[in-house]
Amino acid sequence: MRKSRGLSRRQFLYRSASGTLAATSAVLAGTAGWLVSPTRAVAADGVPRRGGTLVASWGGLEPQALFVPGGGGSSPFMTSTKILERLLKIDEKLAFQPVLATDVRASADFRTYTVSLRKNVLWHDGKPFTADDVVYNVQEHWKPIAAGVALKSLKRVSATDAHTVKLEFSSPVPEFFFKSILAGQYQVVVPKHLYAGKDIITNPLNNTPIGTGPWKYGQWVRGSHVAYTRNEQYWNSAQPYPEKLIIRWWGDPASRSAALETGELQVAFSNPVPARDIDRLVKTGKIAVDTKGYENDAWTVTAEFNQRREHVKRREVRQAILHAIDRKFIIDTIYFGRGKPAVSPIFRTNSLFFTDDVPKYPFDPAKANALLDAAGLPRKNGSRFSVNLVAAAWFEENAKLGQYLKQALQDIGITVKLDSLDRATALKRIYSDYDYDIAVSNFTAPLELVPVVTQFFTTDGIVKGAAFRNATGYSNPAMDALVDKLTVETDNAKRQKLAHEFARLAATDVPLVPLVEMESFTLTRTNVRSATTSANVQGDALADVWLAS
Amino acid sequence: MVTRLLLRRVLQAVPLLLGVIVMNFCLIQSVPGTLLDVMTAEQQVTDPALIERLRVTYGMDKPLWQQLLHYINSVVHLDLGYSYRHNLPVFDVIMAHLPATLVLMLASLLIAVIVGVSAGVIAAVNVNTWRDTLVSVAAVACFAAPSFWLGIMLIILFSVKLGWFPVGGMTTIGMDYGTGFTGAWHASLDVLHHLALPAVTLGLFYAATYARVMRASMLEVARQDHVRTAQAKGLTRRAVITRHMVRNAMLPVVTLLGLQLGTVLGGSIVVEAVFSWPGIGGVLFDSVMSRNYPVVLGLLVLSSALVIVANIAVDLIYTRLDPRIRTHAS
Repeated sequence: MRKSRGLSRRQFLYRSASGTLAATSAVLAGTAGWLVSPTRAVAADGVPRRGGTLVASWGGLEPQALFVPGGGGSSPFMTSTKILERLLKIDEKLAFQPVLATDVRASADFRTYTVSLRKNVLWHDGKPFTADDVVYNVQEHWKPIAAGVALKSLKRVSATDAHTVKLEFSSPVPEFFFKSILAGQYQVVVPKHLYAGKDIITNPLNNTPIGTGPWKYGQWVRGSHVAYTRNEQYWNSAQPYPEKLIIRWWGDPASRSAALETGELQVAFSNPVPARDIDRLVKTGKIAVDTKGYENDAWTVTAEFNQRREHVKRREVRQAILHAIDRKFIIDTIYFGRGKPAVSPIFRTNSLFFTDDVPKYPFDPAKANALLDAAGLPRKNGSRFSVNLVAAAWFEENAKLGQYLKQALQDIGITVKLDSLDRATALKRIYSDYDYDIAVSNFTAPLELVPVVTQFFTTDGIVKGAAFRNATGYSNPAMDALVDKLTVETDNAKRQKLAHEFARLAATDVPLVPLVEMESFTLTRTNVRSATTSANVQGDALADVWLAS
Repeated sequence: MVTRLLLRRVLQAVPLLLGVIVMNFCLIQSVPGTLLDVMTAEQQVTDPALIERLRVTYGMDKPLWQQLLHYINSVVHLDLGYSYRHNLPVFDVIMAHLPATLVLMLASLLIAVIVGVSAGVIAAVNVNTWRDTLVSVAAVACFAAPSFWLGIMLIILFSVKLGWFPVGGMTTIGMDYGTGFTGAWHASLDVLHHLALPAVTLGLFYAATYARVMRASMLEVARQDHVRTAQAKGLTRRAVITRHMVRNAMLPVVTLLGLQLGTVLGGSIVVEAVFSWPGIGGVLFDSVMSRNYPVVLGLLVLSSALVIVANIAVDLIYTRLDPRIRTHAS
């Protein structure tokens, strides 16, 4: 049953990706599924059962604080979102669903948004949740810290009554873009009455958050786990279903996989075990694998070409180099088949904006050699020129990819000096000092392209010291103009066309190239139901999840 | 006399600790990358104004020598600083993880001493027999096998296949032990149940060293005059071994034990990771990787204090084992 659902969904993704505009724009408008009842997610699996303890984990380590203003990475994202909620969420069909907001309406000119908030919502300490809380978060939390430049054009935010908030912008804001912010990773709502007047970044409450979510903070044993208890006053009185939720961390992937096997761990998100272990675990019949739920958090491994450096600053050289890279080999060997060749910065999982109609660079070393000869870079004593390749080895795959690229480039006569570096050193080399010719790095992209994806390519994305932004120094007025249009275009169909143009230009100029769309997966014990009901499951509140007996 | 020894050692410790602080501060500062790089990268901070605000919040806008002086000053006031990454004082971070590491290390050292010393004695008394060979082979195997591999093998056998022991952690999460004496008893049993596999993994590694050292030491003692005298006196073999040989052969083992007590804080990173033991090893590793120098420095200050204490303890044990050392020391 689960499997057939997965397949039909896959097909849906590909069909809409190949250009069924009408269906896609309905989703883009964010209206599909607005009125669907909250029990929708469990209909296919029967009636949810109350009770039990759910133990969850993920493919990484313990967070630094349970809630980190501004994000703090995947680990606090997972621990905070069970307690602190956002206004909207993007469900597994890539449609917006109400959470703390019941309605988000744009004015005719898309410069004003009116947000209606859910009534009768209580903070875990018993105080009512009101429009003042949202206004505080917009002003003191999202705009200066969590939303980055996404709220740059926000002029004013005000509460028109206890449950309505009005946001005014200086330029038109596309509806999908605005709702994406509200449903975004970092836009959780914290209680004004406990945060106002204190430094939000260092507030001790970040270790023991108080929110409106289905789960209340119970106990955090550092180095081991955090325990949550059921919020008996949750606004959706039927939820959550288990009595207890425990998020636990295993330092070692092999012991994580053993814990899944013994049932000590029931659901694990974001690649909890090495890819080569998956088949073995599924064969036990006790564990299921699920690749849904990462559409709004898709990972890629990239090659970045420093535009300040000799040779690689030339587009024809970069294109030639891309012909020397065998992506299928990379996926099969380094990623154990769990990935797809990337064609542009917009991934296949992003069925709203993806296009396959972009320039591609198939593996063809002879063509690469010919292109380099034509570029006036012939071999002298076996070498055309040399480059410094920095591999950011925060994933072991990156280090292996660095070794592969070194070999592949040497095959076409480019001498490579490879540096595989640890996290802090790599961040400094690539994003602060710009000290590299070619870098192997990663990024994770949400469905909405502005600003996270576009900032890798725009001139205003060049911010020295800011990681995972335009570190290549690529600056092209045509690209800047395109992104400017994409930022203010409010017509969904036109926006999609602009996104396709963006993909084509990025795939033509190739300053930064996603090589592989890495596949993310969730492993669950087979009695766990409704573990993936959103487009970014690691930050799902786990309100729908239940345990079958 | 013992008090004078103690006093002298404690006074010697002060410049030592200061040296540790200064040296480690310089070392960690000379590594490329800073806490700010890691934190802003993790938080996807791109706004230059916010990066600057964080720099001021973490005190990184000040020159290095000021940061160092500020740090030394706070250590003098028994304050190890604040870990912004954990949103907690460094002391609290360390205290949250230290007990688990101490329990694990003491248990594994206990296993190591008992197993290692007995194996060493057995090998030495049966030198060049199959028993000796067996001990030597086992010792080499335990020493050479990577701890993470040994740990995972034990997990697969005893947790996944047999189901005798839990896969990881220190306690059964969500278990209600009850109160009072029975509660404490059940809690201890639960911790012991979780402790067994990691302590054996780590213990066997150390035991291998102790077995080799003890064997060599026993063979050396065996050639000495007082052993021959004891045998000539007509003492039983058992009495010669236990009273005259083992006691003297223990000295190098105690030295080794003292050295290893000092590595308690960082020595078990791998085993802690494999068994998700909530100890200090993971914190230290993450802190180094994220350049979180208040925590790294705090741990180094603490572990150097521990080395000093362990060495004083070893000196005291020496004087018990070999009275001649007492006269030399005074």
